[in-house]
Amino acid sequence: MKPILDVRNLRKTFGDGCEQCGRLTGAAAATNRCPACGTIVAVRGASFTLRHGEILGVMGESGSGKSSLVRMLYFDEAPVSGSAVFDDKGTPVEMFALNAAQQRRLRNTRFGMVYQNAHMGLNFGISAGGNIAERLLLNEQAHYEKIRERARYLLERTGIAAARMDESPHRFSGGMQQRVQIARALATDPPLLLLDEVTTGLDVSVQARILDLILELQEALGLSMVVVTHDMGVIRQLATRTLVMKNGEVVEQGLTDQILEDPQHAYTQQLVSAAL
Amino acid sequence: MIEAPARAYQYGFLDEYAKKEIRRQTLKAVAIPGYQVPYASREMPLARGFGTGGLQITLSLLGPGDTFKVIDQGADDSVNAVNLRKFIVEACPDVSLTTRAEDATIIQTRHRVPEVGMSPGQILVLQVPYPDPLVVVEPNEAKRKQMHGEGDYARLLVKLYEDLVNFGEITISHRYPTRIHGHYVIDPSPIPRHDVPRLHMADALFLFGAGREKRIYAVPPFTRAEPLAFEDVPFRVEHFFDDTGARRPCARCGSRESFLDEFLDSYGRKQFGCSDSDYCARRQESRR
Ligand SMILES: Nc1ncnc2c1ncn2[C@@H]1O[C@H](COP(=O)(O)OP(=O)(O)OP(=O)(O)O)[C@@H](O)[C@H]1O
Ligand SMILES: [Mg+2]
Ligand SMILES: [Zn+2]
Ligand SMILES: [Zn+2]
Repeated sequence: MKPILDVRNLRKTFGDGCEQCGRLTGAAAATNRCPACGTIVAVRGASFTLRHGEILGVMGESGSGKSSLVRMLYFDEAPVSGSAVFDDKGTPVEMFALNAAQQRRLRNTRFGMVYQNAHMGLNFGISAGGNIAERLLLNEQAHYEKIRERARYLLERTGIAAARMDESPHRFSGGMQQRVQIARALATDPPLLLLDEVTTGLDVSVQARILDLILELQEALGLSMVVVTHDMGVIRQLATRTLVMKNGEVVEQGLTDQILEDPQHAYTQQLVSAAL
Repeated sequence: MIEAPARAYQYGFLDEYAKKEIRRQTLKAVAIPGYQVPYASREMPLARGFGTGGLQITLSLLGPGDTFKVIDQGADDSVNAVNLRKFIVEACPDVSLTTRAEDATIIQTRHRVPEVGMSPGQILVLQVPYPDPLVVVEPNEAKRKQMHGEGDYARLLVKLYEDLVNFGEITISHRYPTRIHGHYVIDPSPIPRHDVPRLHMADALFLFGAGREKRIYAVPPFTRAEPLAFEDVPFRVEHFFDDTGARRPCARCGSRESFLDEFLDSYGRKQFGCSDSDYCARRQESRR
């Protein structure tokens, strides 16, 4: 079976770039900033596949390019070069060849995103239910009671009392806000979820319950996910396969068990031993 | 607000080139129903916000043989309407004036569509303070343009959703977002909900001018104009029910169909009367 996502040489830079960027940045150069021209090479040619129903972990230190990678996949940012083929119910879709409206459709109906910062993923000026309604309305659902029903269901499903659906996310705890983000992401039954640091900054017990929810959703709904984190514990618990990034470069990828037991790259070895 | 007119106005105040440019943008607006066409708004001898956008469209269209009417807040005799009429007399000396909506070829209006409705061949020019309905949900103009292009109005519907959640009903009273010809959503200017259905599959041409924002848009005749709503919560106009659930009549002319304004009678009691003063006066006359 074809992977749900096949990413080839995806590249993202901030700056105009120069001939030397390639040589002077990356893990070996120990920087993502080109000393010659000042360009940030946030992601320098990432390639990986995500299989149907699989959770792929993306880990690496702060600034290694993890968020940039998923932001490109969610069309928040355009890559400089590279390709990503999404398997849309059997039809291969070259994501970056689509026009804006087609990208918007994919984003609204096939992908769900949970941002590290709930303020990025939720509109705090409207109710929790309204945040879910927005995604349904984007999807041409225009029946008020059906929208309410769906929002109620999704909130309950992600562990929030439906009685609170008309409250602003302001009044929710950090963990609840992440749950609302997950509920919103799930609104249109997307096959692919992108989760960027979904548990960062939450209490350990709250983290554990959200990770349980993610695993449970994956199992029940057969979702494929890209999970970005700098937390080895999250990787260990969620990811079947893992991709390790440093200075914009993918330095190692493979089965999570193998990476944790027998890391090949010096940087991964350092990460694994530090987490033990 | 309006300066005393200089002796020699150019006919129609604007130079021929300016009028031609406005007509060209108006034609474009008619060709793309609901689309906000940018145009080079001119300096007018009245402050922006007093209908300069509507006035420029009016001046570009008026010519010998036209009959003109002005409505402001539903009335022909408000200060604004009187000033505007005076200005037209100076700028277009051979244009006849009327208060009877059905006799006018061109009507410039703020706040209302005439109660008697519009007939084939007539043009209603509406003054628009805020042309873009998306401005309430998206501050970035480039993004708004893209949303219009893609027909992406989900966030306006979210506003309606939130209204229903918070108030149990949609509370927008004026400027009700309305989808034209199945694509662009317009701000129909500060007309009440009562008037919005009159834009739908109408006999007449509706032109919208925003002077400050430099936009012209149109709802041509026989074009769909559908207020945003939910399948199970349809759009509705103001009902004007009294405590017993009966439709209030106009205290002056007795109409039970017209859009009503509140006023205090000579005893200081709250009453309801037609907002369209010409419609109301003529009904009172015919009842005498
Ligand atoms: N808009 C931008 N302009 C310039 N540089 C940027 C921009 N966005 C990100 N970067 C840079 O790109 C690099 C990668 O950033 P990114 O946010 O992808 O890292 P990350 O791995 O998600 O880090 P963290 O773990 O801190 O979230 C960083 O050096 C960052 O400073
Ligand atoms: Mg990040
Ligand atoms: Zn460089
Ligand atoms: Zn009356």
